[in-house]
Amino acid sequence: MSILVTRSTRILIQGITGGQARSDLKRSLDYGAKVVAGVTPGRGGESVLGVPIYDTVGRAVADHPVDASAIYVPPLMAKSAVLEAIDAGIGLLLLTAEFIPVHDISYIAAATREAGVRLIGANTNGIISPGQSRLGGIGGADPDEIYSPGRIGVCSRSGGMSAEIALALKAAGLGISTCVSMGGDAVTGLGMAEYVELFEQDPDTDAIVLIGEPGTRNEHDVARLVRSGRIGKPIAAMISGLFQERYPKGVSFGHAAAMIADDNDTATAKRRALAEAGVMVTSLLEEIPSLLAERGIAA
Amino acid sequence: MRVLEDMAKGWLRDRGFPVPPGTAAASPAEARDVAGRLGGKLVVKALVPAGRRGKAGGVVTAKSPEACAESAGGLIGRTIADHQVARVYVEKKIDIAEEFYVGFFAGGERPHLLLSRFGGVEIEGTFENRPDDVVRSELDPRKDLTEWEARELWLQAGVGGPLLRELGELTARLAAAFRNGDMVLLEINPLATDPEGRLNLVGAMMEIDGQALERQPEWKALEDPGAGATATANERELQVDEIDRTVPGGECRYIELDGDIGLLVGGGGAGLYQHDLIVAAGGHPANHCVTPPTGSDSRKLKAVIKAILGNPKTRSLLVGFNFAQMARADIRVQSLVEVIDEMGLDTANFPIVIRMFGAGEAEARALVDGRPGFHYMARGTTLSDAVQRIVTLTNETTEGAAS
Repeated sequence: MSILVTRSTRILIQGITGGQARSDLKRSLDYGAKVVAGVTPGRGGESVLGVPIYDTVGRAVADHPVDASAIYVPPLMAKSAVLEAIDAGIGLLLLTAEFIPVHDISYIAAATREAGVRLIGANTNGIISPGQSRLGGIGGADPDEIYSPGRIGVCSRSGGMSAEIALALKAAGLGISTCVSMGGDAVTGLGMAEYVELFEQDPDTDAIVLIGEPGTRNEHDVARLVRSGRIGKPIAAMISGLFQERYPKGVSFGHAAAMIADDNDTATAKRRALAEAGVMVTSLLEEIPSLLAERGIAA
Repeated sequence: MRVLEDMAKGWLRDRGFPVPPGTAAASPAEARDVAGRLGGKLVVKALVPAGRRGKAGGVVTAKSPEACAESAGGLIGRTIADHQVARVYVEKKIDIAEEFYVGFFAGGERPHLLLSRFGGVEIEGTFENRPDDVVRSELDPRKDLTEWEARELWLQAGVGGPLLRELGELTARLAAAFRNGDMVLLEINPLATDPEGRLNLVGAMMEIDGQALERQPEWKALEDPGAGATATANERELQVDEIDRTVPGGECRYIELDGDIGLLVGGGGAGLYQHDLIVAAGGHPANHCVTPPTGSDSRKLKAVIKAILGNPKTRSLLVGFNFAQMARADIRVQSLVEVIDEMGLDTANFPIVIRMFGAGEAEARALVDGRPGFHYMARGTTLSDAVQRIVTLTNETTEGAAS
């Protein structure tokens, strides 16, 4: 199986007529994802690649039961698009936009949480359950070259690094149940610890791999969760950004959130917290398969 | 985007907030004129995008227009808190009875506010040493702070009595301005009473969310290239900064460091990872950078490449991107060879390692085929392989130059 996205997930695309949405739509359909409808205000009644377009999310879900919406709208429209999806009762949202204003993403995170809606992102390239389905552009034109089906759950704060860890696992003969790029912003919908809990509950995931960065409290939340004893599956983690500690605080070297504001934000502090909780920590992606093998997870 | 005090106070004044009269001046003569118009005792403040100027000597009181001109002359041209002072703010001095503090902050999971009955220049010490004198409260991002919630917070901060109603009303209005104005920071320090018991916004710091400028036309128009740059930024960093502000689409950044290996990366996790691996392998990155997706205007990417190659300390270049990015490898390599040719750079002793696979890869390989110094990694090699390669090649070049 997998978490959040399976072969039977019925997908809506908001902002379906945009360039990125169209190109991801084609690749998703090629991959077998069940995209049932799209929304672009003013374009209702048209279709794109055989997928019907509606003027509102409400009208789309009235005609097509939907499990998840992939939202491709510009950053200033993200809040309204998310609220429209919540209003239509969709339980899983993927928000691709980068550079959403901070007051809006706070609003979005609070609104999805209160409604019990799961939000992936923002600023994510997507989620893929290899061999089944995907939301977003993750995997590019040829996902099979990178993502093999299997029993490792992956959660990464960096979209690009999702591909690198998938390749490292593949080289070791390991496949993936679900790989999620959770988004690199300071505020995201679901946090890393929540993905870990989902993987823990998934009967088809045997082990979990995390890719972290400086900034945010995601990795510390995972450490706390693991210490609580609620996670039985082995976890391996690679946390980048050690070099940032050689420079003054407050300098952002990458993702806006990958910034060290205080000592807890550093890669070193995160590695230590995770290691103390019993997570296997490494600096090198290629070492992850052998760490997993030590815990009995092998191809 | 940091807003200078004259703009921040003008914005607040226009919305009916009690701000002391004041105007910016670019010369001692202008400062004298402003002081003459305002009359009475005055304060001259360096207009720099930084807080805590008072401690850095950037705030001076003056009793006359002449003294005001003299203070302005002493501040203009000086560097305060890493910024060169181009103008000063001349303001009517308020006789202060009590100093409060209120600050609003966004950027974390939820916005929050801090308030204290002990405002003024020692507020940092209060934050650090007397946390019980500071009230912190999260703000619901979906709702306006009400006057009664604000009154409750001031009561917790130990302020009651005749000021409470006005403080509650003012704080609620500031919270609304903070959100509606898309601010990531709004700090009033001091929020001071005069001897008659009237509240004044004596100090005001404001920072606008750069990601919201499109819906804040007033701030968009004020966007000042270079306002965020510090005096320590070099010309290459400033050039990339300017392109980032003036060319639409995506983001580019360039941070120069002390090493010799140029790093051309996307800006996400792979950039951090490769930087770590270089350091672990004994190498020294000459820079870090953020480059936009290839769908964006290529001027941003080229500006970063130009900065990297223009850095006299750079002796080699690693072009390292994640596998199967949507971005096209050939567009990046095209920009790279164009800049190399424009600059007339001889790459024979300047190793360039490229680790970029996916769309446009065959075309990208063809573009560098036969060019000296280029090492395009075989498809399927890891980021770590590419890092080892560039560190080895850089060491060889350095040894070759030394022998």
